[in-house]
Amino acid sequence: MPRRVVVTGIGAVSAAGWGVGPLLEALRSGRPLAGSITRFDASRHRTRIAAEVPPAPAAVAAAIPGWRRLSRSDRYAVAAAREALVRAGRFPRGSGPEMGVFFGTSTAGMPECERFHERLQAGAFAPVALLRSQEANGPGDAVARDVGAAGPVESVSSACSSGALALRAALEAIRDGEAAVALAGGSDALCELTHAGFNALRSVDAAPCRPFEEQRAGLTIGEGAAVLVLESEDEAERRGAPVLAEVLGAGASCDAHHMTAPHPQGAGAARAIRAALFDALRDPGDVTWINAHATATPQNELSEWKAIEDVFGARAAAIPVVATKSLTGHLLGAAGAIEALATVDSLVTGMLHPAPEGGLIDPRAPAALVRGGALRLGDVGGRSWVALSTSLAFGGSNAAVLFGAAARAAGV
Amino acid sequence: MKVAVTGIGAVGAFGTGRASLEAVLALGAPAKTAAGRPAPDSRRGWSASPPLLAAAQDLSEWVPQPQARRMSAPSRMAVAAARQALHDAGLPRTGPDSEVPAGVVMSTSWGSAHYTERILDQIRREGPEFVSPFYFTECVANAAAAQVALSLGARGPNITVAQREAGVVLALARGAREIAAGRASVVLAGAADEMTPTLHMILARFGALSLSSDGVARPFDRGRDGLLAAEGATVVVLEPLEAARRRGARVLARVETWGCGFDPTAGPVSWGRETRLLGTRAARSLSSADGPLDAIVSGASGSPSGDRAEASFLQGLKAALGLPVLPPVLAPKGATGEYGGFHVGAAVAAAAGAPVAPPAGFSAPDAELGVEPHRGSLPRCPRRVLVSSCASGGAAAWAVLSGETA
Repeated sequence: MPRRVVVTGIGAVSAAGWGVGPLLEALRSGRPLAGSITRFDASRHRTRIAAEVPPAPAAVAAAIPGWRRLSRSDRYAVAAAREALVRAGRFPRGSGPEMGVFFGTSTAGMPECERFHERLQAGAFAPVALLRSQEANGPGDAVARDVGAAGPVESVSSACSSGALALRAALEAIRDGEAAVALAGGSDALCELTHAGFNALRSVDAAPCRPFEEQRAGLTIGEGAAVLVLESEDEAERRGAPVLAEVLGAGASCDAHHMTAPHPQGAGAARAIRAALFDALRDPGDVTWINAHATATPQNELSEWKAIEDVFGARAAAIPVVATKSLTGHLLGAAGAIEALATVDSLVTGMLHPAPEGGLIDPRAPAALVRGGALRLGDVGGRSWVALSTSLAFGGSNAAVLFGAAARAAGV
Repeated sequence: MKVAVTGIGAVGAFGTGRASLEAVLALGAPAKTAAGRPAPDSRRGWSASPPLLAAAQDLSEWVPQPQARRMSAPSRMAVAAARQALHDAGLPRTGPDSEVPAGVVMSTSWGSAHYTERILDQIRREGPEFVSPFYFTECVANAAAAQVALSLGARGPNITVAQREAGVVLALARGAREIAAGRASVVLAGAADEMTPTLHMILARFGALSLSSDGVARPFDRGRDGLLAAEGATVVVLEPLEAARRRGARVLARVETWGCGFDPTAGPVSWGRETRLLGTRAARSLSSADGPLDAIVSGASGSPSGDRAEASFLQGLKAALGLPVLPPVLAPKGATGEYGGFHVGAAVAAAAGAPVAPPAGFSAPDAELGVEPHRGSLPRCPRRVLVSSCASGGAAAWAVLSGETA
């Protein structure tokens, strides 16, 4: 039997603020976090809203060495990782040779890269120091450096499935004994390139995104980071750590269909979900709810719904579906991580966070979307809840992660 | 499940395909840079050895024009290398045909830097509303992996990793994991990167590039002064050893073991003080593997501090394994340059018995390092090879490849 892997800490930076507290408050109350873009002049962009992270509290900045030299993505990552370790009872003692870091990102240091190019184009001096952490290894490396991790470090940049693929890699590393403890997560900072690019694809809604609604018109870009501390159940028990949830399994696949359009029948997403179920030794009937990718682009939901129907059959329309992006925006390379965090919180509290109340649900994708108010899970089978989180990316890269409730869940 | 490497594909300044890669490895010196792309932007006063460009290579045999025009340069090179690798492995170049889907694991440092720069230009000069959706979809880091999957119908795990110089070894390791766990029938693992004038200028300003007027980098040499920036792609075919044998495939090497680690004393663009401990960690992952190492394919590139880290890693390995001397150390980046993942292609070729010449221009060992490139010839036979790479920023990855006797 492979080692059982549990989550013992979570940390976050989001448009709700710095820390898990404000994020969970926003999630539980169903409060969308999008607002007018301030990071750059959006006046010539087709759409002008995003879910931006507020300025860091002085205490957070002061506590992190080298803060001024970190990129925005790195700052989010390091702050979230520190919080997760503190909550897991591992900071600062969590550092060490057997700690691994598995991190997803898509923009990494692109905001700083934009500043560099802007100066270059203007013929002004462009300091290369802006590019120190430009590549996708930046946030993961910054976290590893900050916490003194000397175990495996793997940065994943598979667009919107990066965070979930990083979790998958971390799960494997703990199971295989390559790391005693792993920080798994993702971080992405809002940048003009991404916003302009998604707008060029006509994939961004001018209003806050409306997953699964008939009138949905695209995504809302968000930014931030989320980190989960993973360790073996034995290790958590040995040190008396709080166990929030169990990571049951993970799967990955590729549509191999189109660079931007998902497979119309959701074949790739269904394969990833089945791979996760197989990895977790679970059946579709075990799944209590789904934290869907749910970007609110017209095509994503149709494809994702086909996948859900394919795997869950007649039960599909009865399974509660959670759409975290309706509140946090789409965190791209960190989306899988923040949605994992939301899922872990629900496994602890037994409450599914709602999307805002809105228009009619698309009859072609009739998901039982949790919205308007939180949904309390029934205490069926002694909290034996199982949650599925899906991440479906550009280029058809899909990932699915399965979480289970801890036997005796600690509070978040 | 044991993992076999059955094919190599490569696109670089040296040409295309395994034979071209092996030829430049046997030569030990960089191929003359093909024309077709602008030279580094010297107007800003940053000079360095010219980059080893691959853009002029004719890839039409591997990527038909209608497909190529929908791809960035890294995607084109990755797809060409993937098809070459499948062909080299005796598999259909249109993609492996198996019930268990094929996976793709690619590494990149910058993705399509050219398209990223184009978008940033469009935003500033024309306005964000003029950004090309095509440039955007191709500038994401995972575009090359996605295009490989799309071209070959690879429906298994599709992962893009990024750990700078260690990325391609990490991709090899991740790919081997997918095969070992039975999650893919075949994995195409490798790297793709392109070198633009701006990127070259940036590397020069970071002090990363060789200033050598003769266009060589001198890994482990006392007078080394930087790396040669290259572009291109390398892809290897991984499959279960038993499956490869069943279909009568020629096995170039087995991937025996793999691992990675991190030196948290490193800065964002430097190497740390504790790389030696990573060598110790690598030695631990080798302990379950059999037999002595016949050679080490080092990630040394000619970078003064990077090669110091590589040497420190190897000293840690040597001490932890209790070796009186290191096995012969090969430094193929002296011939291929940095970026494009050729290092892993070189390691597979070396394990399969291909000759790897000492890097051109090597004149004097660096006494501080205690490591120098092997300057004799190695017996032309399958070898057990450690491939390793220490990245700036702190990451390191390694794998052991064992050549197969035909």
